[in-house]
Amino acid sequence: MNIAWKEIKKNKVRFLILGSIVFLVSLLTFIISGLANGLSQDNAALIKDLPKGQFYMNKDAEETYNLSKIDSDIQKEILNKQKDAVAFSIQMGFLNDKDDKQQSVAFVASTDSKLFKNVKDGEIILDSSLKNKGIKVGDTLTNNQFSGEFIVKGFVDQKKYSHAPVAYINMKNYQEIYRVMEMQLIFTPGGDSSKEFTGLQSFSNKDFLNTIPSYNAEQMSLNMIVWFLVVISGMLFAIFFYMMNVQKVGLYGILKAIGIKTSRLFKMMWTQMLFITIIALIMSITLSQFFNMVAPEGMPFHLTFETTAQLSIVFLIIGFIGATLSGMQIKKIEPLQAIQQGEA
Amino acid sequence: MTIFTLDKVRKTFTNGEIEEEILKGINLSLKEGEVTALVGASGSGKSTLLTIAAGLQPASNGQVIFDGNNMTAMSSEEVRKIRASKFGFVFQFAHLVPFLTVEEQLMLMLDVSESRLSKQARKAEVNKILLLVEMDHKKNAYPSSLSGGEKQRVAIARAIIHEPKVLFADEPTASLDSKRSKDVMSLIQNITKTLNITTLMVTHDEEMLSYVDHVIKMSDGIVLQSGD
Repeated sequence: MNIAWKEIKKNKVRFLILGSIVFLVSLLTFIISGLANGLSQDNAALIKDLPKGQFYMNKDAEETYNLSKIDSDIQKEILNKQKDAVAFSIQMGFLNDKDDKQQSVAFVASTDSKLFKNVKDGEIILDSSLKNKGIKVGDTLTNNQFSGEFIVKGFVDQKKYSHAPVAYINMKNYQEIYRVMEMQLIFTPGGDSSKEFTGLQSFSNKDFLNTIPSYNAEQMSLNMIVWFLVVISGMLFAIFFYMMNVQKVGLYGILKAIGIKTSRLFKMMWTQMLFITIIALIMSITLSQFFNMVAPEGMPFHLTFETTAQLSIVFLIIGFIGATLSGMQIKKIEPLQAIQQGEA
Repeated sequence: MTIFTLDKVRKTFTNGEIEEEILKGINLSLKEGEVTALVGASGSGKSTLLTIAAGLQPASNGQVIFDGNNMTAMSSEEVRKIRASKFGFVFQFAHLVPFLTVEEQLMLMLDVSESRLSKQARKAEVNKILLLVEMDHKKNAYPSSLSGGEKQRVAIARAIIHEPKVLFADEPTASLDSKRSKDVMSLIQNITKTLNITTLMVTHDEEMLSYVDHVIKMSDGIVLQSGD
Protein backbone atom coordinates (compact mmCIF):
# COMPACT_ATOMS: atom_id res chain seq x y z
CA MET A 1 0.00 0.00 0.00
CA ASN A 2 1.33 3.42 -0.94
CA ILE A 3 0.83 5.35 2.30
CA ALA A 4 2.85 8.31 0.93
CA TRP A 5 0.28 8.88 -1.81
CA LYS A 6 -2.64 8.32 0.61
CA GLU A 7 -1.28 11.10 2.83
CA ILE A 8 -0.86 13.50 -0.09
CA LYS A 9 -4.43 12.75 -1.20
CA LYS A 10 -5.83 13.39 2.27
CA ASN A 11 -3.73 16.51 2.99
CA LYS A 12 -3.87 18.14 -0.45
CA VAL A 13 -3.62 21.73 0.78
CA ARG A 14 -0.52 21.13 2.90
CA PHE A 15 1.34 19.52 0.01
CA LEU A 16 0.00 22.03 -2.49
CA ILE A 17 1.52 24.85 -0.44
CA LEU A 18 4.95 23.21 -0.37
CA GLY A 19 4.67 22.32 -4.07
CA SER A 20 3.79 25.94 -4.92
CA ILE A 21 6.78 27.27 -3.01
CA VAL A 22 9.14 24.79 -4.71
CA PHE A 23 7.59 25.71 -8.06
CA LEU A 24 8.13 29.44 -7.47
CA VAL A 25 11.69 29.02 -6.19
CA SER A 26 12.67 26.72 -9.07
CA LEU A 27 11.01 29.02 -11.62
CA LEU A 28 12.90 32.00 -10.20
CA THR A 29 16.11 29.97 -10.32
CA PHE A 30 15.56 29.04 -13.98
CA ILE A 31 14.71 32.65 -14.91
CA ILE A 32 17.81 34.04 -13.17
CA SER A 33 19.93 31.27 -14.67
CA GLY A 34 18.50 32.18 -18.09
CA LEU A 35 19.39 35.81 -17.46
CA ALA A 36 22.91 34.87 -16.33
CA ASN A 37 23.38 32.81 -19.50
CA GLY A 38 21.86 35.56 -21.64
CA LEU A 39 24.09 38.24 -20.11
CA SER A 40 27.08 35.95 -20.51
CA GLN A 41 26.26 35.54 -24.21
CA ASP A 42 25.71 39.28 -24.52
CA ASN A 43 29.03 39.97 -22.85
CA ALA A 44 31.24 37.40 -24.50
CA ALA A 45 29.51 35.40 -27.27
CA LEU A 46 32.47 36.21 -29.53
CA ILE A 47 34.81 34.34 -27.17
CA LYS A 48 32.36 31.68 -25.96
CA ASP A 49 31.63 30.57 -29.53
CA LEU A 50 35.30 29.77 -30.13
CA PRO A 51 36.33 26.10 -29.81
CA LYS A 52 38.37 24.89 -26.82
CA GLY A 53 41.92 26.10 -27.03
CA GLN A 54 44.52 28.45 -25.59
CA PHE A 55 44.62 32.23 -25.58
CA TYR A 56 47.96 34.01 -25.37
CA MET A 57 48.60 37.58 -24.34
CA ASN A 58 51.66 39.55 -23.40
CA LYS A 59 52.93 38.77 -19.88
CA ASP A 60 53.50 42.50 -19.26
CA ALA A 61 49.79 43.18 -19.88
CA GLU A 62 49.04 41.73 -16.43
CA GLU A 63 46.03 39.76 -17.65
CA THR A 64 44.43 42.82 -19.27
CA TYR A 65 44.11 42.04 -22.96
CA ASN A 66 43.65 45.76 -23.80
CA LEU A 67 47.23 46.34 -22.73
CA SER A 68 48.62 43.35 -24.56
CA LYS A 69 50.87 43.78 -27.59
CA ILE A 70 52.22 40.62 -29.14
CA ASP A 71 55.62 40.90 -30.72
CA SER A 72 55.31 40.36 -34.50
CA ASP A 73 58.21 37.83 -34.59
CA ILE A 74 56.58 35.64 -31.91
CA GLN A 75 53.24 35.99 -33.69
CA LYS A 76 54.83 34.81 -36.97
CA GLU A 77 56.54 31.91 -35.18
CA ILE A 78 53.28 30.69 -33.59
CA LEU A 79 51.19 31.12 -36.74
CA ASN A 80 53.83 29.23 -38.76
CA LYS A 81 54.00 26.42 -36.23
CA GLN A 82 50.24 26.00 -35.91
CA LYS A 83 48.37 26.64 -39.13
CA ASP A 84 44.90 27.09 -37.54
CA ALA A 85 46.17 29.60 -34.94
CA VAL A 86 44.88 33.16 -35.26
CA ALA A 87 46.08 36.53 -33.99
CA PHE A 88 43.33 39.04 -33.24
CA SER A 89 42.44 42.26 -31.47
CA ILE A 90 39.26 43.58 -29.90
CA GLN A 91 38.66 47.28 -29.21
CA MET A 92 35.51 49.13 -28.24
CA GLY A 93 34.64 51.98 -30.60
CA PHE A 94 31.97 53.82 -32.57
CA LEU A 95 30.55 53.81 -36.07
CA ASN A 96 28.59 56.64 -37.63
CA ASP A 97 25.75 55.74 -39.96
CA LYS A 98 24.53 57.76 -42.95
CA ASP A 99 22.49 60.02 -40.62
CA ASP A 100 25.64 60.54 -38.55
CA LYS A 101 24.10 58.60 -35.70
CA GLN A 102 26.70 56.94 -33.52
CA GLN A 103 26.56 53.21 -32.84
CA SER A 104 28.72 51.61 -30.17
CA VAL A 105 30.52 48.50 -31.44
CA ALA A 106 33.38 46.12 -30.58
CA PHE A 107 35.87 46.22 -33.49
CA VAL A 108 37.44 42.83 -34.17
CA ALA A 109 40.34 42.37 -36.56
CA SER A 110 42.20 39.12 -37.13
CA THR A 111 44.70 37.32 -39.33
CA ASP A 112 43.22 34.90 -41.89
CA SER A 113 41.19 32.27 -40.04
CA LYS A 114 37.99 30.26 -40.25
CA LEU A 115 37.21 31.30 -36.67
CA PHE A 116 36.73 35.00 -37.49
CA LYS A 117 35.11 36.75 -40.44
CA ASN A 118 37.73 37.86 -42.93
CA VAL A 119 36.97 41.19 -44.50
CA LYS A 120 38.72 43.22 -47.16
CA ASP A 121 40.07 46.75 -46.79
CA GLY A 122 37.15 49.18 -46.40
CA GLU A 123 34.58 46.48 -45.75
CA ILE A 124 32.75 45.66 -42.54
CA ILE A 125 30.61 42.73 -41.27
CA LEU A 126 28.29 43.49 -38.35
CA ASP A 127 26.31 41.67 -35.71
CA SER A 128 22.70 41.31 -36.85
CA SER A 129 21.40 43.34 -33.88
CA LEU A 130 22.47 46.45 -35.80
CA LYS A 131 19.83 45.67 -38.43
CA ASN A 132 17.32 46.92 -35.89
CA LYS A 133 19.13 50.28 -35.94
CA GLY A 134 18.31 50.62 -39.60
CA ILE A 135 21.69 49.53 -41.00
CA LYS A 136 21.50 47.47 -44.20
CA VAL A 137 23.92 45.63 -46.47
CA GLY A 138 25.58 48.18 -48.76
CA ASP A 139 25.31 51.07 -46.29
CA THR A 140 28.33 53.27 -45.77
CA LEU A 141 29.60 53.76 -42.23
CA THR A 142 32.38 55.99 -40.93
CA ASN A 143 34.64 56.35 -37.94
CA ASN A 144 36.34 59.62 -36.97
CA GLN A 145 39.72 57.88 -36.58
CA PHE A 146 39.44 56.22 -40.00
CA SER A 147 40.27 58.12 -43.16
CA GLY A 148 38.12 55.98 -45.42
CA GLU A 149 34.61 54.55 -45.28
CA PHE A 150 33.29 51.10 -44.37
CA ILE A 151 30.83 49.38 -46.66
CA VAL A 152 28.52 46.90 -44.89
CA LYS A 153 29.09 43.51 -46.53
CA GLY A 154 26.86 41.41 -44.35
CA PHE A 155 25.64 40.42 -40.91
CA VAL A 156 26.41 37.61 -38.47
CA ASP A 157 24.08 36.22 -35.79
CA GLN A 158 24.74 36.47 -32.05
CA LYS A 159 28.23 37.92 -32.09
CA LYS A 160 28.48 40.26 -29.10
CA TYR A 161 31.31 41.45 -26.95
CA SER A 162 31.04 43.50 -23.76
CA HIS A 163 27.31 43.96 -24.43
CA ALA A 164 28.11 45.65 -27.79
CA PRO A 165 27.60 44.27 -31.31
CA VAL A 166 30.77 43.01 -32.97
CA ALA A 167 32.09 44.77 -36.10
CA TYR A 168 34.62 42.71 -38.11
CA ILE A 169 37.10 44.95 -39.94
CA ASN A 170 40.29 44.43 -41.89
CA MET A 171 43.58 44.37 -39.94
CA LYS A 172 44.96 47.29 -41.93
CA ASN A 173 41.93 49.45 -41.08
CA TYR A 174 42.18 48.42 -37.43
CA GLN A 175 45.83 49.47 -37.31
CA GLU A 176 44.91 52.86 -38.73
CA ILE A 177 42.06 53.50 -36.29
CA TYR A 178 43.98 52.44 -33.17
CA ARG A 179 47.46 53.39 -34.38
CA VAL A 180 49.00 50.07 -33.32
CA MET A 181 50.77 47.52 -35.45
CA GLU A 182 50.68 44.62 -32.99
CA MET A 183 47.78 42.27 -32.32
CA GLN A 184 46.54 41.83 -28.74
CA LEU A 185 45.90 38.12 -28.65
CA ILE A 186 46.70 34.78 -30.22
CA PHE A 187 44.28 31.88 -30.13
CA THR A 188 45.36 28.29 -30.82
CA PRO A 189 42.39 25.90 -31.20
CA GLY A 190 42.82 22.63 -29.29
CA GLY A 191 46.13 23.82 -27.85
CA ASP A 192 47.03 22.96 -24.30
CA SER A 193 48.58 25.09 -21.58
CA SER A 194 51.84 23.14 -21.65
CA LYS A 195 52.84 25.01 -24.83
CA GLU A 196 54.73 28.07 -23.73
CA PHE A 197 56.08 30.97 -25.73
CA THR A 198 58.62 33.52 -24.57
CA GLY A 199 57.00 36.60 -23.06
CA LEU A 200 53.44 35.25 -23.45
CA GLN A 201 50.98 34.10 -20.85
CA SER A 202 48.48 31.36 -21.74
CA PHE A 203 44.83 31.14 -20.73
CA SER A 204 42.16 28.48 -21.16
CA ASN A 205 38.82 29.67 -22.61
CA LYS A 206 37.33 29.90 -19.10
CA ASP A 207 40.34 31.74 -17.67
CA PHE A 208 40.32 34.17 -20.54
CA LEU A 209 36.60 34.94 -20.04
CA ASN A 210 37.43 35.89 -16.47
CA THR A 211 39.94 38.48 -17.65
CA ILE A 212 37.16 40.36 -19.45
CA PRO A 213 36.26 43.38 -17.33
CA SER A 214 32.77 43.01 -15.73
CA TYR A 215 32.27 39.44 -16.98
CA ASN A 216 33.41 37.75 -13.79
CA ALA A 217 31.64 40.15 -11.45
CA GLU A 218 28.39 39.92 -13.42
CA GLN A 219 28.38 36.13 -13.62
CA MET A 220 29.50 35.65 -10.05
CA SER A 221 26.66 37.70 -8.59
CA LEU A 222 24.01 36.01 -10.75
CA ASN A 223 25.35 32.54 -10.09
CA MET A 224 25.45 33.33 -6.40
CA ILE A 225 21.72 34.15 -6.52
CA VAL A 226 21.04 30.90 -8.40
CA TRP A 227 22.88 28.77 -5.84
CA PHE A 228 21.37 30.71 -2.99
CA LEU A 229 17.90 29.83 -4.33
CA VAL A 230 18.91 26.19 -4.69
CA VAL A 231 20.06 26.13 -1.05
CA ILE A 232 16.83 27.87 0.02
CA SER A 233 14.79 25.15 -1.69
CA GLY A 234 16.79 22.49 0.18
CA MET A 235 16.14 24.29 3.44
CA LEU A 236 12.44 24.55 2.55
CA PHE A 237 12.24 20.79 2.24
CA ALA A 238 14.16 20.29 5.47
CA ILE A 239 11.91 22.70 7.38
CA PHE A 240 8.67 21.40 5.83
CA PHE A 241 9.41 17.76 6.52
CA TYR A 242 10.79 18.62 9.94
CA MET A 243 7.48 20.30 10.84
CA MET A 244 5.53 17.39 9.37
CA ASN A 245 7.66 14.87 11.23
CA VAL A 246 7.35 16.73 14.52
CA GLN A 247 3.56 16.53 14.14
CA LYS A 248 3.78 12.84 13.33
CA VAL A 249 6.21 11.71 16.05
CA GLY A 250 3.38 9.93 17.88
CA LEU A 251 2.08 8.30 14.73
CA TYR A 252 5.55 7.12 13.67
CA GLY A 253 6.12 5.71 17.16
CA ILE A 254 2.89 3.70 17.02
CA LEU A 255 3.68 2.49 13.49
CA LYS A 256 7.09 1.39 14.74
CA ALA A 257 5.47 -0.33 17.72
CA ILE A 258 3.19 -2.38 15.45
CA GLY A 259 6.26 -3.41 13.48
CA ILE A 260 6.61 -1.04 10.51
CA LYS A 261 10.22 -0.72 9.30
CA THR A 262 11.97 2.65 9.77
CA SER A 263 13.13 2.37 6.15
CA ARG A 264 9.48 2.31 5.04
CA LEU A 265 8.85 5.60 6.86
CA PHE A 266 11.88 7.11 5.10
CA LYS A 267 10.64 5.78 1.74
CA MET A 268 7.28 7.40 2.43
CA MET A 269 8.97 10.77 3.00
CA TRP A 270 11.24 10.43 -0.04
CA THR A 271 8.28 9.47 -2.26
CA GLN A 272 6.43 12.59 -1.14
CA MET A 273 9.52 14.75 -1.70
CA LEU A 274 10.05 13.31 -5.19
CA PHE A 275 6.39 13.67 -6.11
CA ILE A 276 6.24 17.33 -5.07
CA THR A 277 9.60 18.24 -6.62
CA ILE A 278 8.98 16.50 -9.94
CA ILE A 279 5.55 18.10 -10.41
CA ALA A 280 6.93 21.53 -9.40
CA LEU A 281 9.93 21.12 -11.73
CA ILE A 282 7.81 20.02 -14.70
CA MET A 283 5.70 23.14 -14.25
CA SER A 284 8.62 25.52 -13.81
CA ILE A 285 10.58 23.99 -16.74
CA THR A 286 7.54 24.36 -19.02
CA LEU A 287 6.96 27.95 -17.96
CA SER A 288 10.63 28.97 -18.17
CA GLN A 289 11.00 27.40 -21.64
CA PHE A 290 7.86 29.24 -22.72
CA PHE A 291 9.42 32.44 -21.37
CA ASN A 292 12.59 31.58 -23.29
CA MET A 293 10.51 31.65 -26.49
CA VAL A 294 8.50 34.80 -25.79
CA ALA A 295 11.13 36.90 -23.96
CA PRO A 296 11.44 40.36 -25.54
CA GLU A 297 14.28 40.56 -28.10
CA GLY A 298 16.16 43.18 -26.12
CA MET A 299 16.22 41.01 -23.02
CA PRO A 300 19.41 38.96 -22.72
CA PHE A 301 17.69 35.67 -21.81
CA HIS A 302 19.13 32.33 -22.88
CA LEU A 303 18.06 29.15 -21.10
CA THR A 304 19.39 25.91 -22.54
CA PHE A 305 17.83 22.53 -21.88
CA GLU A 306 21.20 21.37 -20.52
CA THR A 307 21.24 24.09 -17.84
CA THR A 308 17.62 23.33 -16.92
CA ALA A 309 18.33 19.61 -16.63
CA GLN A 310 21.45 20.22 -14.51
CA LEU A 311 19.59 22.56 -12.14
CA SER A 312 16.66 20.12 -11.90
CA ILE A 313 19.01 17.33 -10.84
CA VAL A 314 20.56 19.65 -8.25
CA PHE A 315 17.05 20.51 -6.96
CA LEU A 316 16.23 16.81 -6.58
CA ILE A 317 19.51 16.10 -4.77
CA ILE A 318 19.13 19.11 -2.46
CA GLY A 319 15.47 18.19 -1.78
CA PHE A 320 16.53 14.64 -0.97
CA ILE A 321 19.26 15.84 1.41
CA GLY A 322 16.90 18.34 3.08
CA ALA A 323 14.16 15.76 3.59
CA THR A 324 16.61 13.11 4.78
CA LEU A 325 18.26 15.43 7.31
CA SER A 326 14.90 16.33 8.79
CA GLY A 327 13.93 12.65 8.70
CA MET A 328 16.84 11.67 10.95
CA GLN A 329 14.48 12.29 13.88
CA ILE A 330 12.31 9.39 12.63
CA LYS A 331 15.21 7.07 13.34
CA LYS A 332 15.42 8.32 16.91
CA ILE A 333 11.70 7.90 17.70
CA GLU A 334 11.09 5.32 20.40
CA PRO A 335 7.74 3.50 20.11
CA LEU A 336 7.43 3.49 23.87
CA GLN A 337 7.73 7.26 24.05
CA ALA A 338 4.91 7.65 21.49
CA ILE A 339 2.63 5.30 23.41
CA GLN A 340 3.23 7.20 26.65
CA GLN A 341 2.61 10.56 24.94
CA GLY A 342 -1.00 9.72 24.16
CA GLU A 343 -3.10 10.45 21.08
CA ALA A 344 -1.33 12.53 18.40
CA MET B 1 -0.48 -24.54 26.57
CA THR B 2 1.99 -21.91 27.81
CA ILE B 3 3.02 -19.57 25.02
CA PHE B 4 4.73 -16.81 26.94
CA THR B 5 7.08 -17.00 29.90
CA LEU B 6 8.80 -14.22 31.80
CA ASP B 7 11.66 -15.54 33.90
CA LYS B 8 13.14 -13.39 36.69
CA VAL B 9 12.64 -10.21 34.69
CA ARG B 10 14.24 -7.13 36.21
CA LYS B 11 14.23 -3.56 35.00
CA THR B 12 16.28 -0.74 36.42
CA PHE B 13 16.35 2.91 35.38
CA THR B 14 19.17 5.27 36.16
CA ASN B 15 18.24 8.85 36.95
CA GLY B 16 21.46 10.76 37.42
CA GLU B 17 23.28 8.87 40.14
CA ILE B 18 20.16 7.22 41.47
CA GLU B 19 19.36 3.72 40.24
CA GLU B 20 15.74 2.73 40.55
CA GLU B 21 14.52 -0.86 40.21
CA ILE B 22 11.06 -0.90 38.63
CA LEU B 23 10.72 -4.65 38.20
CA LYS B 24 12.28 -6.89 40.82
CA GLY B 25 12.49 -10.35 39.27
CA ILE B 26 9.07 -11.08 37.80
CA ASN B 27 8.06 -14.63 36.90
CA LEU B 28 4.98 -15.03 34.76
CA SER B 29 3.49 -17.43 32.24
CA LEU B 30 0.59 -16.90 29.84
CA LYS B 31 -1.60 -19.60 28.31
CA GLU B 32 -3.20 -19.71 24.86
CA GLY B 33 -6.78 -18.46 24.62
CA GLU B 34 -6.74 -16.69 27.97
CA VAL B 35 -7.02 -13.07 29.03
CA THR B 36 -4.61 -12.02 31.77
CA ALA B 37 -4.93 -8.67 33.46
CA LEU B 38 -2.10 -6.84 35.20
CA VAL B 39 -3.47 -4.60 37.92
CA GLY B 40 -1.90 -2.39 40.52
CA ALA B 41 -1.39 1.17 41.59
CA SER B 42 0.41 3.73 39.44
CA GLY B 43 4.14 3.09 39.51
CA SER B 44 3.73 -0.59 40.39
CA GLY B 45 5.53 -1.54 37.16
CA LYS B 46 2.61 -3.14 35.27
CA SER B 47 3.00 -1.04 32.10
CA THR B 48 6.77 -1.55 32.12
CA LEU B 49 6.22 -5.29 32.40
CA LEU B 50 3.78 -5.23 29.45
CA THR B 51 6.15 -3.24 27.21
CA ILE B 52 9.08 -5.56 28.04
CA ALA B 53 6.94 -8.61 27.23
CA ALA B 54 5.87 -6.94 23.98
CA GLY B 55 9.47 -6.29 22.94
CA LEU B 56 9.08 -2.52 23.09
CA GLN B 57 11.91 -2.15 25.59
CA PRO B 58 14.59 -4.54 26.81
CA ALA B 59 14.74 -6.09 30.26
CA SER B 60 17.80 -5.32 32.39
CA ASN B 61 17.94 -8.93 33.52
CA GLY B 62 16.03 -12.16 33.06
CA GLN B 63 14.46 -13.81 30.05
CA VAL B 64 11.35 -13.33 27.93
CA ILE B 65 10.47 -16.59 26.22
CA PHE B 66 7.88 -16.45 23.44
CA ASP B 67 6.81 -19.62 21.66
CA GLY B 68 10.02 -21.33 22.82
CA ASN B 69 12.32 -18.52 21.63
CA ASN B 70 14.33 -16.29 23.96
CA MET B 71 13.40 -12.76 22.86
CA THR B 72 15.99 -11.14 25.13
CA ALA B 73 18.76 -12.71 23.03
CA MET B 74 17.30 -11.51 19.69
CA SER B 75 18.41 -8.54 17.58
CA SER B 76 16.09 -5.52 17.39
CA GLU B 77 15.18 -6.48 13.79
CA GLU B 78 14.19 -9.98 14.90
CA VAL B 79 12.07 -8.52 17.70
CA ARG B 80 10.46 -6.10 15.19
CA LYS B 81 9.53 -9.03 12.95
CA ILE B 82 7.89 -10.80 15.88
CA ARG B 83 6.01 -7.62 16.81
CA ALA B 84 4.80 -7.23 13.23
CA SER B 85 3.67 -10.81 12.67
CA LYS B 86 2.96 -12.45 16.02
CA PHE B 87 1.86 -9.61 18.29
CA GLY B 88 -1.10 -7.27 18.24
CA PHE B 89 -1.30 -3.99 20.12
CA VAL B 90 -4.16 -1.96 21.57
CA PHE B 91 -3.25 1.20 23.46
CA GLN B 92 -5.07 3.61 25.72
CA PHE B 93 -5.72 5.77 22.67
CA ALA B 94 -6.56 4.26 19.29
CA HIS B 95 -3.56 5.85 17.52
CA LEU B 96 -5.05 5.31 14.06
CA VAL B 97 -3.31 6.70 10.97
CA PRO B 98 -5.30 9.91 10.30
CA PHE B 99 -5.01 9.78 6.51
CA LEU B 100 -6.14 6.16 6.07
CA THR B 101 -9.70 4.87 5.98
CA VAL B 102 -10.79 2.13 8.37
CA GLU B 103 -10.29 -0.48 5.64
CA GLU B 104 -6.84 0.93 4.77
CA GLN B 105 -5.72 0.83 8.44
CA LEU B 106 -6.27 -2.92 8.39
CA MET B 107 -4.73 -3.39 4.95
CA LEU B 108 -1.62 -1.54 6.20
CA MET B 109 -1.32 -3.96 9.13
CA LEU B 110 -1.51 -6.90 6.72
CA ASP B 111 1.27 -5.19 4.73
CA VAL B 112 3.41 -4.66 7.84
CA SER B 113 2.98 -8.28 8.94
CA GLU B 114 4.06 -9.36 5.43
CA SER B 115 0.90 -11.39 5.03
CA ARG B 116 1.04 -13.91 2.20
CA LEU B 117 -2.65 -13.50 1.40
CA SER B 118 -3.66 -12.40 -2.09
CA LYS B 119 -5.22 -8.98 -2.58
CA GLN B 120 -8.70 -10.53 -2.76
CA ALA B 121 -8.11 -12.70 0.30
CA ARG B 122 -6.87 -9.64 2.21
CA LYS B 123 -10.08 -7.76 1.37
CA ALA B 124 -12.14 -10.72 2.51
CA GLU B 125 -10.15 -10.92 5.76
CA VAL B 126 -10.63 -7.19 6.39
CA ASN B 127 -14.39 -7.54 5.84
CA LYS B 128 -14.52 -10.54 8.21
CA ILE B 129 -12.69 -8.72 11.02
CA LEU B 130 -14.70 -5.53 10.54
CA LEU B 131 -17.87 -7.62 10.90
CA LEU B 132 -16.45 -9.14 14.08
CA VAL B 133 -15.85 -5.70 15.63
CA GLU B 134 -19.11 -4.39 14.12
CA MET B 135 -17.40 -1.68 12.11
CA ASP B 136 -18.10 -3.01 8.60
CA HIS B 137 -20.51 -0.14 7.89
CA LYS B 138 -17.69 2.39 8.46
CA LYS B 139 -14.96 0.79 6.39
CA ASN B 140 -14.55 3.84 4.14
CA ALA B 141 -14.61 6.35 7.01
CA TYR B 142 -11.55 8.29 8.16
CA PRO B 143 -10.64 8.30 11.90
CA SER B 144 -11.70 11.96 12.22
CA SER B 145 -15.33 10.95 11.64
CA LEU B 146 -15.35 8.14 14.23
CA SER B 147 -16.33 8.28 17.92
CA GLY B 148 -13.84 7.25 20.64
CA GLY B 149 -15.44 3.80 20.99
CA GLU B 150 -15.47 3.26 17.23
CA LYS B 151 -11.81 4.24 16.98
CA GLN B 152 -10.92 1.73 19.69
CA ARG B 153 -12.88 -0.99 17.85
CA VAL B 154 -10.88 -0.23 14.70
CA ALA B 155 -7.66 -0.32 16.78
CA ILE B 156 -8.67 -3.78 18.05
CA ALA B 157 -9.46 -4.88 14.48
CA ARG B 158 -6.01 -3.63 13.41
CA ALA B 159 -4.41 -5.53 16.28
CA ILE B 160 -5.95 -8.88 15.28
CA ILE B 161 -6.24 -8.69 11.47
CA HIS B 162 -2.94 -10.53 10.99
CA GLU B 163 -3.95 -13.30 13.41
CA PRO B 164 -1.36 -12.60 16.11
CA LYS B 165 -0.54 -15.11 18.81
CA VAL B 166 -0.49 -12.51 21.58
CA LEU B 167 -2.56 -9.38 22.03
CA PHE B 168 -1.09 -6.67 24.26
CA ALA B 169 -3.55 -4.12 25.57
CA ASP B 170 -2.34 -1.17 27.63
CA GLU B 171 -5.32 0.42 29.40
CA PRO B 172 -7.56 -0.10 26.35
CA THR B 173 -10.63 1.33 28.08
CA ALA B 174 -9.02 4.25 29.91
CA SER B 175 -10.20 6.86 27.42
CA LEU B 176 -13.75 5.46 27.12
CA ASP B 177 -16.93 5.89 29.14
CA SER B 178 -18.33 3.00 31.18
CA LYS B 179 -20.67 1.59 28.49
CA ARG B 180 -18.06 1.74 25.74
CA SER B 181 -15.45 0.26 28.09
CA LYS B 182 -17.66 -2.76 28.67
CA ASP B 183 -18.28 -3.13 24.93
CA VAL B 184 -14.55 -3.04 24.20
CA MET B 185 -13.72 -5.52 26.99
CA SER B 186 -16.44 -7.84 25.84
CA LEU B 187 -15.00 -7.64 22.34
CA ILE B 188 -11.47 -8.43 23.57
CA GLN B 189 -12.77 -11.38 25.57
CA ASN B 190 -14.75 -12.64 22.59
CA ILE B 191 -11.82 -12.31 20.19
CA THR B 192 -9.43 -14.05 22.57
CA LYS B 193 -11.72 -17.07 22.70
CA THR B 194 -12.79 -17.08 19.04
CA LEU B 195 -9.31 -16.68 17.58
CA ASN B 196 -7.48 -18.54 20.39
CA ILE B 197 -5.25 -15.54 21.10
CA THR B 198 -3.34 -14.93 24.33
CA THR B 199 -4.14 -11.53 25.76
CA LEU B 200 -2.08 -9.59 28.29
CA MET B 201 -3.79 -6.45 29.45
CA VAL B 202 -2.99 -3.60 31.83
CA THR B 203 -5.92 -1.99 33.57
CA HIS B 204 -6.69 -0.10 36.73
CA ASP B 205 -10.44 -0.40 36.25
CA GLU B 206 -11.62 -3.18 38.60
CA GLU B 207 -14.97 -3.37 36.77
CA MET B 208 -13.17 -4.80 33.76
CA LEU B 209 -11.77 -7.75 35.69
CA SER B 210 -14.98 -9.71 35.20
CA TYR B 211 -13.94 -10.14 31.55
CA VAL B 212 -10.55 -11.72 32.26
CA ASP B 213 -9.38 -15.26 33.09
CA HIS B 214 -6.42 -14.35 35.33
CA VAL B 215 -5.56 -11.35 37.42
CA ILE B 216 -2.00 -10.53 38.42
CA LYS B 217 -1.75 -7.89 41.10
CA MET B 218 1.47 -5.95 41.18
CA SER B 219 2.94 -3.61 43.74
CA ASP B 220 6.32 -1.91 43.83
CA GLY B 221 7.82 -4.05 41.05
CA ILE B 222 6.78 -7.46 42.37
CA VAL B 223 3.80 -9.78 41.86
CA LEU B 224 1.71 -9.59 45.00
CA GLN B 225 -0.97 -12.02 44.01
CA SER B 226 -1.86 -14.18 41.05
CA GLY B 227 -5.25 -15.78 40.67
CA ASP B 228 -8.29 -16.63 38.50
